[in-house]
Amino acid sequence: MSETLVAAAEEAPRAADLAFDRLYRSSRDDIYAYVAGLLRDGPAAEEVTAAAFERAYRKRHRFDPERGEPRAWLFGIARNAALDELRRRDRQAELTAEPVDLHSFGAEAVAEHSERRLAVSTALERLAPRERELIALKFFAGLSNAEIARVLGVSESNAGTKLHRAMTKLREACDGTA
Amino acid sequence: MEPPRDDQLIADLRALRPAPRPEFAAELDERAAAGFPRRSRLPRFSFERLRAIPRRRLLLPAGGVALAVVAIGTVVALSGGSEQNNGGPLSLSSPKTPSAQRPPQEIKPFSKESPEVQYEAVVPVAPSAGAASKDSAEALNGDFNASFRPRKIERSAEVVLGAEPQGVAGDAAKVFEAVHTNDGIVMHSSTRQGKAGEAGASFDLLIPSAKLPDALAAFSAIDEVRSRHEATADITAPTVSTAELLRESRARIDSLLGQLGEAETESEREAVEAELRHERHHASRLAAQLDHLHRRADLSRVSLRIVTGDSNESSGGGAWGIDDAFHDAGHILAVAAAVTVVGLAILGPIALIALLAWLTHRAWVRRERRRALG
Repeated sequence: MSETLVAAAEEAPRAADLAFDRLYRSSRDDIYAYVAGLLRDGPAAEEVTAAAFERAYRKRHRFDPERGEPRAWLFGIARNAALDELRRRDRQAELTAEPVDLHSFGAEAVAEHSERRLAVSTALERLAPRERELIALKFFAGLSNAEIARVLGVSESNAGTKLHRAMTKLREACDGTA
Repeated sequence: MEPPRDDQLIADLRALRPAPRPEFAAELDERAAAGFPRRSRLPRFSFERLRAIPRRRLLLPAGGVALAVVAIGTVVALSGGSEQNNGGPLSLSSPKTPSAQRPPQEIKPFSKESPEVQYEAVVPVAPSAGAASKDSAEALNGDFNASFRPRKIERSAEVVLGAEPQGVAGDAAKVFEAVHTNDGIVMHSSTRQGKAGEAGASFDLLIPSAKLPDALAAFSAIDEVRSRHEATADITAPTVSTAELLRESRARIDSLLGQLGEAETESEREAVEAELRHERHHASRLAAQLDHLHRRADLSRVSLRIVTGDSNESSGGGAWGIDDAFHDAGHILAVAAAVTVVGLAILGPIALIALLAWLTHRAWVRRERRRALG
């Protein structure tokens, strides 16, 4: 994505809104996929996705193109919202130990697919959130390693290394499941 | 089942990509079209959310709130206590004079003609300057609540009138007439004839305080008012204390007279008489002092000057010019600077604390987010 929100915002407020609208339309499903992959909870993912876009819309005039692409900026906001949701879950778990709704996530997809895909889905559950996040960013949201690096605030090579490790763990988890 | 190959695994992962429900996507599209209207934040502050927060995390904010409440309460209590302190010059707008201790004062616009003095306090005072100190002392001896005791207010005024050189004599005559009409006393007067700037007159007057507003209004009507200043001072405290000392002294004299009647020896009688003389002298001095205080309250000093020539030459009065504009601008800037400094002194530490709290919170949130990923 070559355009920037700020450049458009300086031209006219309406242009900034249009740029954000384009960003929203190009990223809506990717953001949801990433958040849902990280949280493994459909209703929570919807809530977090909506909150992330709302936050981004409010901050759209503060976006600095020198600090990265709009898409990476948007994923950063979504990431913070998702991590806040994880924190909230942790706090509630301390008091209520309420189980997370795992069955709602990808139920339709899993039901329609083979046993192997069910094993992959189960293996994903077993991964730590940090590793699941990398896989979600790469394969659910479709981000490149460079974009992942910008979202996580690490170097591109580091992002690649982390992703490789996460894939290795996923494969091992699949082996364990199999 | 065989473990998946890399390309298989990637294909499976892409196939498992979660997709939003159509209903949710439609709803989000609507919200995007509407500019993401802010949703109600009330649920964020619901009781259930509050209960979900561990108590140990509530301790710090709760302690902070409690500390702030205690600090504010202490400040309010201390400031309330300081307001009980009374005395000193009477200020019409001073919060140091509790309303319960004030006499039934009436604040009213003094005169529209006055360029500088806009308000006065009408305070009930003795009707005549010759009120006997003994009567006043007896009145003060009465057993009444100090909260409702009429206050003794000493008042003074300075008036500068501008006149033409040939009008000074006529204005001076009008001053005498106004003083006479208001039962005042001319303590000192002088009139100078001459050209503009030299001719003029000055008066030191005593005006019954009850008639001071009328007298000042009459003076203001004589000629152009170039300046007028009024001052008040509350002399209730010295008046009351002197009256009490006088009462004690008189009681002492009565007691000594009794002792004198019962004295049996010459030396005893002489000793009591000496003490009686001393006490009578003391009582006399107190009575004079009390009388002087009453006079100060009953009679207001007025200094009146009639000046001629350019109004700028008189002290602080006259037409408003460029110098006055610079002076006023400087004064306004000084006041604005002072207010800014005070504001910064108050807001600076608060802003610093808020900044530190915000940075701490930000660092804490980042750490918690990292921890959330395990």
